[in-house]
This record gives sequence, structure tokens and C-alpha cells, in this order.
Amino acid sequence: MRASEPITLEHVPCCICGAVDGAPVGVGEDFEYHTSAQSFLAVRCPSCDLIYLDPRPSLASLPVIYPDDYHAFMFDEEQFGIVHKVRSRLEARRLLRAGRGLPADAHVLDVGCGDGFHLDLLRKHGPSGWFLHGVDTDERAAAAAGRRGLDVEVGSVEQSRIAPGSIDLALCIQTIEHVADPVTVLRSIGNLLKPGGRLYLITDNTGSPDFRLTKGRHWGGYHFPRHWNLFNKASLRKLAEASGMEVITLSTTTSPVNWTYSVRNMLVDWNAPSWLVNRFSLKAAPALAVFTAFDTMFTLIGRGALLRAILGRPR
Amino acid sequence: MSDRTAPVVVIGGGIAGLLAAHELARHGVAANVYEAGPRIAGMAATHTDEDGFSYDVGAHFVTNRFMAALGMRAACRTLPRYGEVVRLGPDRHPLYPIGLLGVPRFVRSAIWEKVRRPKRDLLVAADRFRRDFGRALADEVALPLLEAWSGLPADELSSSVIDKLPTSLAKTIWLRAAQRITRRAVMIGYCKEEPSATGVFHVYPEGGIAAICGHVADGLASPVQVSSPAERIYTDGERVIGARIAGQEIETSTVISTLPINRLSQLVEGTDRLDRFRRFQFRGLVLVNLKLTGRQLLPEVIVWTPKGFPYFRVTEASLAMPWIAPEGKTMILCEFGAQPGDDVWSLSDEAIIERCLSTIGPMIAGVRERFIGASVLRQPLGYPVFALDYEPDRASLATEGTGIAGLHSVGRNGEFDHILMEDTFWRLRRRIPGIAQEHLKATHDHHVMSRPR
Ligand SMILES: Cc1cc2nc3c(=O)[nH]c(=O)nc-3n(C[C@H](O)[C@H](O)[C@H](O)COP(=O)(O)OP(=O)(O)OC[C@H]3O[C@@H](n4cnc5c(N)ncnc54)[C@H](O)[C@@H]3O)c2cc1C
Ligand SMILES: [Zn+2]
Repeated sequence: MRASEPITLEHVPCCICGAVDGAPVGVGEDFEYHTSAQSFLAVRCPSCDLIYLDPRPSLASLPVIYPDDYHAFMFDEEQFGIVHKVRSRLEARRLLRAGRGLPADAHVLDVGCGDGFHLDLLRKHGPSGWFLHGVDTDERAAAAAGRRGLDVEVGSVEQSRIAPGSIDLALCIQTIEHVADPVTVLRSIGNLLKPGGRLYLITDNTGSPDFRLTKGRHWGGYHFPRHWNLFNKASLRKLAEASGMEVITLSTTTSPVNWTYSVRNMLVDWNAPSWLVNRFSLKAAPALAVFTAFDTMFTLIGRGALLRAILGRPR
Repeated sequence: MSDRTAPVVVIGGGIAGLLAAHELARHGVAANVYEAGPRIAGMAATHTDEDGFSYDVGAHFVTNRFMAALGMRAACRTLPRYGEVVRLGPDRHPLYPIGLLGVPRFVRSAIWEKVRRPKRDLLVAADRFRRDFGRALADEVALPLLEAWSGLPADELSSSVIDKLPTSLAKTIWLRAAQRITRRAVMIGYCKEEPSATGVFHVYPEGGIAAICGHVADGLASPVQVSSPAERIYTDGERVIGARIAGQEIETSTVISTLPINRLSQLVEGTDRLDRFRRFQFRGLVLVNLKLTGRQLLPEVIVWTPKGFPYFRVTEASLAMPWIAPEGKTMILCEFGAQPGDDVWSLSDEAIIERCLSTIGPMIAGVRERFIGASVLRQPLGYPVFALDYEPDRASLATEGTGIAGLHSVGRNGEFDHILMEDTFWRLRRRIPGIAQEHLKATHDHHVMSRPR
């Protein structure tokens, strides 16, 4: 299912305000998986500051743009070694912080749970009484999560069979940028939350310096053509508002991934030798370490690589 | 007066008309595109001949950004190189623009001019060019070229002819370096509306530039109506109320015209507001494609010839697009500025081909032995002429439009601006939301008052 299979594209409006007058910001290709010969255009909505792909792959092309070796389906310890260990430790800490104050029998839902990495962390490090649920639209991801013994539903959160008003904490970690209609997804999550329940959301930050430096083509956060909507603080607020969610906190957090991939994409694009390209990947501990340190500085001034929002369902 | 569902009337099936309909559809506004001729594409036509050569109306270059915006990048090839040089003499072809810095007398006079002349608005092209580039460079290179593609002396031209997105010197050098590193024809200051960047480079669609029009037309809900010339546009003095297309009266509150603005003003009835655009002039071009044996006959893709040649520019597009000519052969395009009816325009094909062959010798040795054949295209709408005479009217067209509600003049000829297809696209993208909104409002309200914009 590689490049040979052409993908179909469709034009889309801004998912927040419906405008169609996006101005060009970046143009690039699938530097990571080479799933098509297309180039993709990232545009900025002049009124919302949302960055989105227009045109973008149609839903029918999803199986092509998410190939079988897509990393969200297989982030395992065996392949990723030390990186897996460090990331697990860091993310467990972040998740537990997000879940602080929840009752001992809380229901936690991971929307776009992929192979169940985060749920697995909560199972290992969180209170044993928590009920853990996951949804993911991709069967292969859900199957991988199932293999870990997690309860994962295949499908969209909009059509989930989870009871409305039953969730204490929803996670939406690097998922919102992949979905076709973020407003509907956030609304649906809102419906599943208990009154006063919270949504912990992480997504790539277009207010970051790595975006500013590499937005023309190589920015890792584009993840062409799989990230369809990308936010900064302002547009995320607008999204929350449009979805009927309340912003409780909005900050940024550190990640080396976009920095690393921005460099990697540039090297790939410019035909650099593979030994050099391979210095920059999710398996390359030194690059990840350096960029983590680097991005930590930007996080201190509120411009880390990832946005972190806690959204609430208004009572 | 206007029907509730009356679609927008789009006049012209060139790239501008097609893109206008494409953008309108995104707003849920129906549009009909009417083309006078038997086929679409207009100035973006592509010709293919039996010898295996293909060429556009002049050499056309587009960017990966524009093609990605239309979703047709996968159907394009990347250009490995692109460059422009200025011929200053035999074997003297400095790269435009940075190579000109290597010419001491240009640099000296440019610095002198900067020091001597206060920085103020200069309205005449000749003055502005001399101030900005220095007298030597202006007089030897820039002004002769400007005059060739304007057909007027530079002191009768407006300085607004150079109001482009400026690309700084440092950026130009950086982009040239990127061209080397990436082995792609990184765009340098080609587009007015959106900036250059290392990731924006020239590409070319399979099937030629006309394929872009085909792609956009295929995506439209209703097919372009060919052989349907617009004959009249009716107004009530303030706003559009209808049009006559191929003898048929059509009610509409919105007309988007891609016609040359001077032509449009002749079609409009019920107002004299567009009369001031009638005297706008376009400079025509005679385009001679010489088919020759050999390759790499020119030092760069484009060679500007400010003096010593009857044409102002020669282009060897196959340096950038090897596939447009059969292997071992090439095509050299010679562009003459001309006016319909003038001496150059009226030359027979044989005579103008002969004029090319007899003058290009200093640039291409043995051209007669190489000669396979030639084609001649006469394009009356080459360049809008920025005459000082009507500059205030040109400026008002750019800022205020036609002055008639519901009548929008777009595209290179409609806006009377020296823009490329991609510029037209981004401009339309910014303009269409307002046009769509106005149209929806007008069609839902039978008693609309005029809203001057
Ligand atoms: C030498 C040269 C080189 C160029 N190089 C480039 C380049 O490298 N890159 C680039 O992007 N652009 C380039 N351009 C510009 C580009 O060709 C034009 O901007 C573009 O093709 C113009 O499209 P349009 O739709 O505005 O006008 P047109 O293509 O002229 O379309 C207008 C259409 O209206 C039709 N028409 C006329 N009268 C009527 C009527 N009464 N009713 C209905 N229809 C009518 C015509 O038949 C025509 O099809 C170049 C132009 C020239 C001259
Ligand atoms: Zn918007």
C-alpha cells in the first residue's frame, strides 16, 4: 500500500469558523512514510489562526496514508529501548498529574488511544480501581491495544457506546490534529464527561519556535498528510469555545519530537545520506535528549513544542 | 429583478474564470462559466506538434505551492533548474539579479544614486528605475527591457510597474544556495502575492500548462459553456442586473469578468463608470519558437537581451523541462514586443522566423544548420502597459474595482496587472468570500440597495 496507490483529495473549510480563504503557510510531502506522490498545502485561517491542510486526503484514502508500519500502531519497548523507557516515565508522570483528585473508581477514556500506550501507563502506575477505556478509529491500533489486554472500542468517539455523562477524565493525546472534525469530536467528548469532568488534551503547538523556523516545508508537526488541523493557544481557545468546552488551563509542554522530525524531514527532502538521516528519529536517543533540553527552555517561556489544555464540561 | 437562484455569470474560460467558479463553489454559490472560443484555457493553452515538441503561449512556470493548492502536484514534474541571465555582450551573461552586482559600473552608479537622491516617491518609471538600480543598470538593462515590453518610452510609464514583493539580496543569495542544495528550481521572486521560500519551487504539469485548466474545469459542478461569448452586461447604473451571452438574455446580480478591462468597459450598458478604462493599452507579443537540433544552446533558461537584438528575451525552456522537446532537440523562444497592426506584428511567419535566424547567430552558432522548423504565435494581450497617462484610473481599478456593484473584473487582463496564474489564484481566494456574500445577499433580496465598496 505504498506510493503506487493514488490518494484522492478534497477541499475543506476551516473547521472552526467555516471560512475557505486560508492563506498558504507551508507545502510539503509525506517525508516520513512516502505514502503518495502528492504535495500538501498547509493554510492559515485568517480569522481563527488555525493551520489546516487544504486540500486534504479524503476519508477513503485513510488506509493509504496510515500504512501498516505507522508508529502509533507499534511503539513497543523492544524496538524503542531507552527512548521507550524515558518517555514512559515522563508521560506517566504527566498523566498522573492530570488525573490528580479523581475518585478511586474513576472512569478514564483515551480518545484516539492508538496501541494503548497511555492506558497501559495508567494501568501500571495509576490507582488500581480506575476503569480504563479506549476508542480508536483504526482497527489495527485497536487490535494492538487489545493484545495488551485493554478494553478498546473500534470506531469514532461520536458513535461510541460509552454512556453519556459517565467519564471523569478523558484523554485526547496527539489525536485532535488527526481528526476530520475536531469540533464534533470535542462536543462528543464533552457529552461523555460527567458534569465537572475534564478533558486532558495534548497537540502540536503552532505557536512554537520550531513551527516558526520550519513552517514553510519541513516542520515535524505537519506530519504530512496526517495532521489535518493544527493549533496555537488562540485557535485552541476558539475550538474549545465552538465545542462548548471551558478552558481550565492552557499551557505548553516539552517534546523533542517535532524538532527532531523537522531536521529529519529537511535531510530526507534534501537527499542527505541515510546515516545522517538516522541520527534524527524516534529511536535516536542523543538527538531526542538534546532537543528535549532545548525545548524545555522554550516551555519555560510558554512556547514549548506541545500545547497542553485542560478543558472542562461546563456544569 | 434577479432570480433567487440566479448563478453568478463568469466570463472567460481561462484560468481566472475557472478558478473564480472553483472558489465560488466552495462558498456554495453556483456559477456558470461562459467561454467565447471553442475551448477553455485562453492564454494558458498548450500546443503539441507532430514533431514531438510542446509549448505554451510563452514559457510558463508554476510552483509546487500553487499545484498543491489545486491538489494536482502529483501530476507534475519538478524542474531541476531555473535561471535568468542578462546578455551584456558576447560571453557576458551575469545572472539576474545577483550577478549584476559583479559589474563594477552598475554597483558604482547604484551607490551614487542612493547617496545623491533623496528617498521619495518617484512616479515616473524612468526616474524610479534610475534611483533604485542606478543610472547605468537602468539605462543599459532595465529601461530598454521595460520599453520593449511596454512599447512606450520609460518617461511615459508609471513607476508602479515595479511594485512587486521585493526579495532582499540576502534572501536571493539564500534561495540560490537552496537551488544548488536541493537541485530544484527554487522560485525567486516570481510570484507577487506570496513570498519565495526554499520549499517553493517550479514544477510543470504532465500534459502542459493547459492541464491545470482541465483539472479545475473537471472539478466544477456545471461544465464550461464554450462558444458562448458575452455580448452585453446590463446595469441599472449602480449595479449589475443581467447579461447577454450568445444572444441569450440572462438575469444575474453578479458578473465576474476575466476580459481585458478595456474590452469589458465596451460591453457594459447603463453606466459610463467604466469608460475611463477604455484607453488602457495592452502590449502585444509575437512569440517565435525555433525548433533546433542540439541542447543547452543558451547559457541559461532565460536570456534577457536589452540591446542588439530585435526581441527582448530568448528562452530555452528545455533546460528546465527536458521533456518538452524530443531528445537531442531543443526549442528557442524569441519574444518580440509588438502591437497588432504594427510592422513587427504584420510580418509574415517566414519573415519573422528569418529575422530570428539572421540575428540569433551571436548567441547560437550554426543556427541555420540546426534549424528544423518554427511556429509563430501572435498574442495581442502580452503585457498591460502602465502608462502614466491613465495611472490614476489604473490605481483606482486596483483599489476600488469597477465602481459597479456586482461587477468584478479579475485576472491578469481584468485587473490590468502584471500577474501570474498563482497571483490570480490567491487574489481570488481573498476576493471571492466578499463576492459570494454579496451575491447571496442580492439574490435573497429583490430590492437591494447599491452598496458602494
Ligand atoms: C508571455 C507570457 C508568459 C507568461 N508566463 C507565465 C508563467 O510563467 N506563469 C504564470 O503563472 N503565468 C504566466 N503568464 C500569465 C498567464 O498566462 C495569464 O495570467 C493567464 O493565462 C491569464 O488567464 P485569464 O483567465 O486571466 O485570461 P485568459 O487566459 O485570456 O482568459 C480569458 C478567456 O476569455 C475568453 N473570452 C474573450 N472574450 C470573451 C467574451 N466576450 N465572452 C466570453 N469569453 C471571452 C477568451 O477566449 C479566453 O479564453 C504569462 C503570460 C504571458 C503573456
Ligand atoms: Zn477559521
